[in-house]
Amino acid sequence: MAVYKRTYQPYQGPLTPAWSRFLVIARQAHRRVFDSRFLVFFFVLCFVWPAVCAALIYLRHNAGAIELFKINVARLIPIDGQFFFRFLGWQGSMAFLLTAFVGPGLISTDLRNNALPLYFCRPFSRAEYVLGKFAVIAMLLSLITWVPGLLLFGFEANLEGGAWFRDNLWLASGIFLGSWIWIVTLCLLALALSAWVKWKVLAGALLFGVFFAAAGFGTAVNAVMHTDYGNLINLPQLVRTIWAGLFGVRSTGGIPPDSAWTALAGICALCLYLLDRKVRAFEVVRS
Amino acid sequence: MSDDRILFEDVSKFYGEVLGVNRVDLSIPPGITTLVGPNGSGKTTLMNLMTGLVRPGRGRIRVLGIAPEEPERLFRLLGYCTQFDAFPRALTGHQFLYCYLRLHGLGHAETERLVWQALERVGMTEAAHRRVAAYSKGMRQRIKLAQAMCHQPQVLVLDEPLNGLDPMARAEAIALFRELAADGRYLIISSHILHEVDQISDQVIMLTSGYVVAEGQIQAVRSEMHQEYPMQVLVRCDHPGVLAARVFEQDHVVEVKMHADRKGLLVSTRDGERFYELLERLVLEGVINLESVAPADEDVHSVYEYLIGSEGGAS
Repeated sequence: MAVYKRTYQPYQGPLTPAWSRFLVIARQAHRRVFDSRFLVFFFVLCFVWPAVCAALIYLRHNAGAIELFKINVARLIPIDGQFFFRFLGWQGSMAFLLTAFVGPGLISTDLRNNALPLYFCRPFSRAEYVLGKFAVIAMLLSLITWVPGLLLFGFEANLEGGAWFRDNLWLASGIFLGSWIWIVTLCLLALALSAWVKWKVLAGALLFGVFFAAAGFGTAVNAVMHTDYGNLINLPQLVRTIWAGLFGVRSTGGIPPDSAWTALAGICALCLYLLDRKVRAFEVVRS
Repeated sequence: MSDDRILFEDVSKFYGEVLGVNRVDLSIPPGITTLVGPNGSGKTTLMNLMTGLVRPGRGRIRVLGIAPEEPERLFRLLGYCTQFDAFPRALTGHQFLYCYLRLHGLGHAETERLVWQALERVGMTEAAHRRVAAYSKGMRQRIKLAQAMCHQPQVLVLDEPLNGLDPMARAEAIALFRELAADGRYLIISSHILHEVDQISDQVIMLTSGYVVAEGQIQAVRSEMHQEYPMQVLVRCDHPGVLAARVFEQDHVVEVKMHADRKGLLVSTRDGERFYELLERLVLEGVINLESVAPADEDVHSVYEYLIGSEGGAS
């Protein structure tokens, strides 16, 4: 053996905190998302409804505008649970579409390129990898759901005064919690499908399938068996049932809120299981 | 416990019912260590075990005293270059290195400095801002190498790093490996290109079907095989006939072949040391004048052929 003298100097400088490293993935992915003109356009489109809602709130409190446009205040939508329920319903749909555009390629591309070892041969765990990919979608969805929702709440509270704010603080928690329930569900579902199907287009199609085909199948079950429990596989209905509880509005799903919570938790658990199986440095080969 | 070695102690890894590696005991010193074996022999499994990407079913692994279960400590001193072309295609070479180096926890300025240093070392500065998808095979190999070494690790694990490189790029890569080893680093390299393994290795580990069949400096491995596979020596001299007669008298010589031009011999012996002593004596006595003496099968290729070739099939 040759005689080698250790002369190199390893890096010994300062390091960023370990908890923040998942943000590297999110930053990189966001740069790519916003390279796409279509996605930028769609993302801007997601703020149209919040802008309309802000205009409605403004109109309700602007005497000059009411007089100028001869608006009947009684006909304007009241700013209550129903208002924010509708707001979240619309933004939730936009969130789903945004997830369908961004989510399917997040893990499938890495799996197809055998790129996972690249991540895991660093001080970076599987959980941090999934968290990084999760953050890619969650940050975007936050910006179009609970962030504008809370801004609208704050706007209304500012115009109505402190008493309204205190009386309706539960609405703010409903906006925040309701948004995160939807964000977590969408993120986990998109990531699980992206991990399970290596082909990005198919993963995207599957995401639509899970929402619309399952909803259709659930409706068919309801019709054939004269029950409402088919809605347990209807994801939009499940989340609407939970939101209805959070915003104190009447639910149309016909399933009890605790069943909806349980079903949603089950779906999320299944997604985590799929991610645990698929997000590994190397696939286990069995003959 | 040695903190200056890479240690495998009775390590086994099965993928379900498929054997990865079985009962591996290794102690790898600094320098260039090459893993040699046919496809499916367990080279990549051994590398993945070393880097903690797969966990052993049994046994213990320590990389300079650090367990692979401690990635925060391990990957400060270890860099891995996989055999796959695993690139986010839309990234440029610079972005590729930058992004993965940030995962090590380095700040922006330090990352930039190390990225350019690594790009320069692999000769990729001019192509740094081109997309990886547009790189040639050789350029992809070099950028992979750069990502493995850009955080200045002490241990470099390189899976098939010479694949796809043209002769010039290979020579450059080999020179780089030597340079890195000369700094006192550990380079674990897997390769199918046996004559290059001979050029670069300080020691080899030969694997077949998940078992280590030989380990150490190639001359030492070869000398342990002399009973089963007699050593072959090429001798060119002025009186090969006389030499043939004298060597046939030795009990350790099993075969002598005369060259077609009748100016040399190929001698097979079970005791190289005694054969060289005899040769020395004949020269000193003036019986023959030597033109050249060279071992014919004291290289990786021959050892590989003897140990693995028949069952594994050199690939």
